[in-house]
Amino acid sequence: MDLALTDDQVAILDAIDTLTRPYAGASLHEAGFSLPDAQLDRDLAEGGFLDIGFDPDLGAVSAALVVERLARLPQTVEAAASALIRPLLGDDLPRPLCLVEEGRTTRPVRFLREGATVLIVGPSSVSAFTATAAQVRAEPEALYGYPMATLLDVPTDRTPHAIPADEVLTRWRIALAAEAAGLLAAALDSTVAHVTDRQQFGRPLATFQALRHRLAEAQVRANGVRWLALKAAATLGPGDAALAALHAQESARATVYDFHQFFGAMGVTLEHPLHLWTYRLKALIGDLRGRGGQALAAAEALWG
Amino acid sequence: MDFAWTEQETAFRDRLRALLADTLPDDWERFSQHGPASPALTKYAESFCGTLAEQGLLIPHWPVELGGQGLDPWHQTILAEEMWIAGEPRGGQYMNVNWIGPTLIRYGSPDQQARYLPPIAEGKALWCQGFSEPGSGSDLASLRTRAERDGDTYRVNGQKIWTSYAGLADTCFLVCRTSDDRKRGISILLVPMDTPGITVRQIPSLIGEGDIHEVFFDDVTVPVTARLGDEGQAWEIIGYSLTNERLGIPRYALARAALDRAVAVLKEQGEFDGEAVKIEAAHAAALTEAARMASYAIVDRRAKGEAIGAESSSARFATVMAERRVCEFIVEYLPEALADAHPYLKMHHQRGIVAGIAAGAAEIQLNIIATDVLKLPREPR
Ligand SMILES: Cc1cc2nc3c(=O)[nH]c(=O)nc-3n(C[C@H](O)[C@H](O)[C@H](O)COP(=O)(O)OP(=O)(O)OC[C@H]3O[C@@H](n4cnc5c(N)ncnc54)[C@H](O)[C@@H]3O)c2cc1C
Repeated sequence: MDLALTDDQVAILDAIDTLTRPYAGASLHEAGFSLPDAQLDRDLAEGGFLDIGFDPDLGAVSAALVVERLARLPQTVEAAASALIRPLLGDDLPRPLCLVEEGRTTRPVRFLREGATVLIVGPSSVSAFTATAAQVRAEPEALYGYPMATLLDVPTDRTPHAIPADEVLTRWRIALAAEAAGLLAAALDSTVAHVTDRQQFGRPLATFQALRHRLAEAQVRANGVRWLALKAAATLGPGDAALAALHAQESARATVYDFHQFFGAMGVTLEHPLHLWTYRLKALIGDLRGRGGQALAAAEALWG
Repeated sequence: MDFAWTEQETAFRDRLRALLADTLPDDWERFSQHGPASPALTKYAESFCGTLAEQGLLIPHWPVELGGQGLDPWHQTILAEEMWIAGEPRGGQYMNVNWIGPTLIRYGSPDQQARYLPPIAEGKALWCQGFSEPGSGSDLASLRTRAERDGDTYRVNGQKIWTSYAGLADTCFLVCRTSDDRKRGISILLVPMDTPGITVRQIPSLIGEGDIHEVFFDDVTVPVTARLGDEGQAWEIIGYSLTNERLGIPRYALARAALDRAVAVLKEQGEFDGEAVKIEAAHAAALTEAARMASYAIVDRRAKGEAIGAESSSARFATVMAERRVCEFIVEYLPEALADAHPYLKMHHQRGIVAGIAAGAAEIQLNIIATDVLKLPREPR
């Protein structure tokens, strides 16, 4: 085993940091609930960062690292599905790539808009279509940190993809866990900074053990989610993927509450970026039937 | 022990439900997504509270001589539950009738009572509470907004933050410093919001338009007669107010109603099927009912005229646990509720997520439970 980043991976992450640095000081004024950024999306796509999973030498682990790193930004771009699932489908599919579970098509869909590729992932088949304006209702008022839309109609004439649905589900879970790992890390960093800075009762909030332990636990969770996501990306095993997604969703549930709690009222303003990470985590919690869905999949894969 | 409602209480609840069904507009659920402090809801609340007042249902728990009917805390609880479950059509006025009014009744001068109680009783007033400051949240006693005595007036300088309703309120229940003595140096002023020198800025928030604000006081002149109680009496008065406010919002009731609604939708969609979803829903229900009983135990003691202490913190935290679990259940199993599909559930989510923060942070409640209920020795300083 060698758990250090390869030279290539270090170079890729450095390049992402360089590329995204100008975006770090985004103005949140008038940003609303989510902060999509078309320019950043173009920069990343042109730089080939979302195609890394196509390269057999770099593979899914590098793609997961990219997803994790990008999720730390206040801006959001559709990276997770593109980086981890598109390699199964082909690079000619228009982005964004939107994942929809068959039988759950009334759920709001991240990044869905006219022209997006919608992948319907069934228990036994996988098919895609390009969304038309009439099939999409944007949800600008949705309380999630992604641009969201509802699918009004699922056409019957979709392009079938001859790949096993299980493989897509496995990668979906890995993508979810990798993204959650980045979101958890960013939300945790932000909360740590706040409680270190903020004083009440004549001392920094960070000196209250009631907060320290819960934040330390959040560190343990974020770290665990990251490692499970990367390992699952390496093995592409359904059990590893289900455990990673389960731990991601459970950790999101457990920590989002605390992060907001420790911010006090500051955490409910749109003028602070916290919600951009936490309200993305909230959106990920409901994917693929939530923790119950992941737990059943994990138990099935582990013990049959 | 008797866990049943009396006939009179049941009839009171039925009457409220009938009135809500008759009065609220057809698109109310969509409309009530606007926070209770939004301009739209504030405007609607004026007419709704007028209707309540006409029917004797705005201040039924106030003393008879002040226009109420002297109904006991159980009726007050039923009223609060039904209004909060309905999405609080009284808007910010719930605060007036729950604790501003009762506080003025207990501590106000005859002039203050004559000026402020009738508009509250008629449903025509809107107050805001100026407690928190940028540097003083949980540590309220560190507040710095200053009221300098100058003959018959005070000159107020400073800043409040997170002030609900400030954008539209007519009067501020302002807590400010009149001397450097930490808790004994704080006084309350009742300040008309149109007094020169007051500036209000709305803070964009996760929980809806118009909800929270910054309020700046620059050389605001207030007559000494606007002081509530004595100089330095604020800490005692706030304690009285907050006890009322903490029990004032029966959040467990809306949390349970939202949970029931979510389960009904899931059933309709054929998604209340697996064990996982049922187990999660049941856990959430257990917490709402535990919070309900913890609150009722306090209502019972109030109804019997007994003093309430730290147990109210325990009931409050039980409610925070319930709100959290219900919000989490809905996000996980019915995520479209936070988009446009189910306005009632979205309304609940936005109000539910602040349960552990507004009106005093949850960790402070836990400290109170640890120190005053469990009698644990304090942390060394
Ligand atoms: C929707 C909303 C409406 C509000 N409306 C009003 C209003 O109308 N008027 C008004 O005056 N205020 C209002 N507030 C402010 C509210 O009273 C404060 O948010 C609350 O008192 C907490 O203060 P804070 O936000 O500064 O958090 P902080 O005090 O900074 O606390 C942040 C975190 O640190 C924790 N913490 C602090 N001290 C300790 C300790 N000793 N031990 C352990 N943990 C600790 C807290 O529990 C919390 O988790 C409102 C807040 C909200 C969210």
